[in-house]
Amino acid sequence: MCGIAGIVAPLLDQAVRESVLARMIDRQRHRGPDDSGFVSNASASLGMARLAIIDPAHGHQPMSSPDRRFHLVFNGAIYNHRELRTTLESDWTFRTHCDTEVLLAAFVRHGPDCLGKLRGMFAFAVWDAQEQVLFAARDGLGIKPLYYVRRPDRSLIFASELNAVLASRLVEREIDATSVGEYLAWFSVPAPRTIYRGIANLPAGHSLRLDREGRLSTQAWWSLPTHQQPHQIARDYSAFAHGLREQLDDSIRAHRVADVPVGAFLSGGMDSTAIAGLMIRGGARQLKTFSIGFEEAGYAEQDSAREAARFLGTEHHEDILTGARVAADLPRILAAFDQPTGDGINTYYASALASRNGVKVALSGLGGDELFGTYPSFRDLPKLQRLLPWWRRLPQKTQQWIVAKLRSKPQTRARKLADFLAHARDLHELASLQRRVLPEVSRLALLSSEARALATRLGPHHPMLEDFAFDLTSADDFQIVSAWELRTYMANVLLRDSDVMSMAHSLELRVPFVDTRLLEWLWPQRSYFKRDPRHPKRALADAVADVVPASIRKRPKQGFTLPFPLWMREELRPFLDETFSSSSLAHCPWLNAPAVTALWKDYIDGTDSRAWSRVWTVAMLVAFVNRKPEGLNTNSH
Amino acid sequence: MRTLLLSPELFLGEGGIARIMRCYLKALCENAAAGDRVDALVLNDSTLADARIARYATPALGKLIGCGRSKLNFLQQAFRLTSGVDQVICGHLHQLTLLWLLNHVRRRFRYSLVAHGIEVWRPYSLLETRALLGAHRILCISEYTRRQILRFCPTLEPSRLCVVANTLDPFLEIGAEPFKPAGLAGPVILSVSRLTDADSYKGVDTLIEALPGILREFPLAQLRIVGGGDDLPRLRDLAARLRIASSVHFTGIIDDESLRREYAACELFALPSRREGFGLVYLEAMTFGKPCLAARAGGAPEVVNDRVGALADYGNIPEIVAAVLDLVRHPRDPAAIRQHGQTFAFPAFRSRLAAALA
Repeated sequence: MCGIAGIVAPLLDQAVRESVLARMIDRQRHRGPDDSGFVSNASASLGMARLAIIDPAHGHQPMSSPDRRFHLVFNGAIYNHRELRTTLESDWTFRTHCDTEVLLAAFVRHGPDCLGKLRGMFAFAVWDAQEQVLFAARDGLGIKPLYYVRRPDRSLIFASELNAVLASRLVEREIDATSVGEYLAWFSVPAPRTIYRGIANLPAGHSLRLDREGRLSTQAWWSLPTHQQPHQIARDYSAFAHGLREQLDDSIRAHRVADVPVGAFLSGGMDSTAIAGLMIRGGARQLKTFSIGFEEAGYAEQDSAREAARFLGTEHHEDILTGARVAADLPRILAAFDQPTGDGINTYYASALASRNGVKVALSGLGGDELFGTYPSFRDLPKLQRLLPWWRRLPQKTQQWIVAKLRSKPQTRARKLADFLAHARDLHELASLQRRVLPEVSRLALLSSEARALATRLGPHHPMLEDFAFDLTSADDFQIVSAWELRTYMANVLLRDSDVMSMAHSLELRVPFVDTRLLEWLWPQRSYFKRDPRHPKRALADAVADVVPASIRKRPKQGFTLPFPLWMREELRPFLDETFSSSSLAHCPWLNAPAVTALWKDYIDGTDSRAWSRVWTVAMLVAFVNRKPEGLNTNSH
Repeated sequence: MRTLLLSPELFLGEGGIARIMRCYLKALCENAAAGDRVDALVLNDSTLADARIARYATPALGKLIGCGRSKLNFLQQAFRLTSGVDQVICGHLHQLTLLWLLNHVRRRFRYSLVAHGIEVWRPYSLLETRALLGAHRILCISEYTRRQILRFCPTLEPSRLCVVANTLDPFLEIGAEPFKPAGLAGPVILSVSRLTDADSYKGVDTLIEALPGILREFPLAQLRIVGGGDDLPRLRDLAARLRIASSVHFTGIIDDESLRREYAACELFALPSRREGFGLVYLEAMTFGKPCLAARAGGAPEVVNDRVGALADYGNIPEIVAAVLDLVRHPRDPAAIRQHGQTFAFPAFRSRLAAALA
C-alpha cells in the first residue's frame, strides 16, 4: 500500500519535473511513511511513498526491470503473488519476495494482459522508457484510486490522491460546477469526474495508455462475468453454501497475506463477524479487532461487537465517539478528504484506533450487502420495474400530471418516486436513480443558475449508465441491482472513503468480500440462493455458521449509522451554523445560497431526522471548500 | 431471390435515414445475382420519378412505389409486394411490426431491420419485441446501437445483430473550391445539424458556450453553424448573451454545393452530440480531410478517434475548448483522415451488407 505519483512531460525540464514530483510524493507521505523513491529520465518521472507490508526490508520503489526499460510504481497488494511468481521464474530472476517485483515481472512478460492474472487491489503505472509509453491501471472493482490530469501541452500528471495532484502546482485548484451537481446527486463525485475541473478519476477496472505522440486512451479491462460456466453453478442450496464457504476461506487466506500484523474491523454485524471468524478459523492468532461505538440510545452497537469478540476470543479494542469529539476533529477529518463526501467518518476513527494499536493491515466486511442483496433496492426496484410498462401506457398528459403532483409534495419519497416515473425506462435506470441523495427538483433548487443549467444538460442519471447497462445485457434482476450497488455506492463512496480515511492513518484496509475471484464464482450462481427475501443473508449465515454466533446470524440487518441526527442539533450545531453562514457560502458560487440556508433552517426547525444525510452532504461540500487543506495531522485522541 | 426494401423515405428529404436507405437500395441492387429482383416500397415519397433513381438502381430493380405518406396505401402495397418475396429489409422499427404480422399471413419470408439510432434506444412494446425476436438479422449502424438493442431486448440472440456501419453516399462530390468569407483569418470551426428543439442534444449550444474559451487563444476564430430549425432563436440569444455574436455565423439551410464549400474551407468540424447513432456528418467532413470533434457518447467514438480528431465528454465545456485548441495547434494529417473515412466507403458497406444477409 503506497502513494504513487508521476509526471510525463517531455517538454518540461527534468529538474523542474523532479521538484514537482517531490512535492506530490511529500503530500501523500501519510500513505507510505516507511520508504520513498523516484526514478526520472528525459521524458518521465515516477515516484512513490511506501507503506511496507510484504517483504518490508525489500521492495523499494520505483522498481525497474534489469535492462532499465520498464519502471513501475505500484499502490496496493497482489494477493496471488506467490502463485504468479512460480509461473514467472523461468525467465525472471527474483531479487525480492515482494509482490511489486512479481507485478513488474508479469508486466514485462505479458504486458497489459497481466491484468487478468492479478488478484488483489491495485493502482499502478509502468513507464516503458524504450517505447516512451506510460501504462496505468486500477483493479477491477476500484479499491485503489488513481487520478490524472491531461495538460494542454499533452503532458500527464497522475497520483493516488487528488491533494497530491494539486501539490504539483501545475493544475488549477478550481471546483467544477458540473461535479458539484453530481456530488449533490450521489453523495460523492462519480468517476470519471472529480470535484476539481480538469482532474479525472480513472474508473474502476480501467487502464490508461499515453503513447510517445502524447495520445491518451482509456479502456475497460475488466467487467462483471457475462458467460456462465454451467459446471460452476451449484446444483442445490447445500452445494452452494458449501461452495461459498470454500470461496470465502480462499478469499480470507489471500487477504491475510502480509509480513506485518493484520487485524480486523468488527462492528458486530454479520459481515464483519464472518470475516473475523474466518480469519481465526484460518489460523490467525491473537487477532486484534476494532469497533466504534456511541453512547446515544438507539445507535450503540458496541454490545454486538463485544459479543462477537467474546465469542471469537479476539483482543478487542473499541472507541466510543461523542459528538463533541467529532466536532473537535472535523478540521483534521476535512484535511484528510481529497474530495467531499457525505460518508467515511466511521472509517476514519476505526482506522485511527487500529493504527494506534499497532496494526498495519485490517480486514473489513465491506461489500457483503452488495453481494448478498441486503439493501432495500434488491426488494423494491424489481417490483417498480414491473410497473413501468403499465406506466408507459398512460397518456402522456396523465403521466405529466402525476409527476408534477408528486414533485410538489415536500416528502422526499414522493419526489424520488417522481424521478423514477419521469426518468426511468428499465431496471438500469431505476438502479441508476435509486442511490441519489437528493431528488432532482431538490438538487436543482440548491444549485446556482449556471450550475443548474449544467446539471440539467447532463440529466439525472448516473454518468456511466450506458457503460454499466451494456455490460449487463444477459444479467438477471438480482445481478443488475447488485452490479449497480457495487459500481456506484460501493466504488465511489465506500471504497473511496475507506482508502482515503485508512490511508490518513497509514493503515492498509483490505476487503475480502470485494474480491474478483469470489465475485466471479458467486456471480453466475442462482439468485434465489444468494438472497432469500425472508431471511437476509441466509446464504452467508449458513456458510459461516461455525464461526458466527447464532444471535448475530439471526439478528435482522441493522445499518451502521452514526448519531448525526442528534449531534447535528447539539454538538455539531456550531460547526454547521458556521458552515451555512453567508461568509462560508460566499465561497460557493455554484450553490444557490438562500436555498442552502433554507435547507439548514428547515432541518433545525423541523422534525424529520431522516433529512440529516441531505443536510450533511451539502455541509461537507461547503466545509470542504472552506477548509484549510494543508498541514494534514491525523492524530486523534 | 426476391427482395423487398421498406423505407420511410428515399428521395424526399436529405435526412440521415433517407440518405442511408438510398445506399441500401444501391447495395441490394448491386449484390443481386442474375435473375434476382429488388422491389422498394416507400412511405413518405409521393413520386419516385426522381432522376437520381437511376444512379442508385441496377436492372435488378423491379417495382419502386411511393405511398405519399398514406399509411393505408403503404399497408396495401406491403401486403401485395410481400407475396412470394424471399427477404424483406425494413428501414424503421415502426414498419417491422407490420412485417411481423404479414409474415404470419403470408408464407414465411425472412425479414431484417436496419436499426439506425435513437428510434431503437428505448423499451419496446410487446408487439415490437415479438417482431424483433422474429427478425432474421438486425443490421445496426454502430456497435453502440447494437448494445442499446440488446439492453432493451436482452432475450435477442446476439448473433442476429450485425454491425453494418453507415456509409457515405457514393455520389457525394468533394470537388468544391474552398470558400472562406473575406475577413476570416482565424480558424474556422464548422458544425452541421438540424437546429430544432428536439435536436438540442446535438450539442451545438455547447460549442457556442465553448467559443469564448477558444477566442481567448485564437481571437479570430469563427464558428459557422449550418442548419435551421425552431431552436435557432435560442442559439442566437446564447451567442448574444456570451457577447460572441460576431464570431458565430448561422448560415441557415444551404444547398449541397454551398455545404461542400463550407466543408472545404473549415479547419475542423465539430458536433459534440450526446446521442449520435453513427454520425454521417463526421464521415462527410473526413472526406474533405477535416479533423472532427465529437462527444464521447453514442456511436460517434466508433467513427472519430484521436488520429482523425478528438473526443470530449458531452457538455464538458473546458474539455471541448481543450479539444478544439488541440486540433488547431496539432493539425491531423488530412491524408490519414481521408484514409480513415475510406474504411466506411460504399464498397466496404456493400460487402458488409452481403455478408450480414448471407
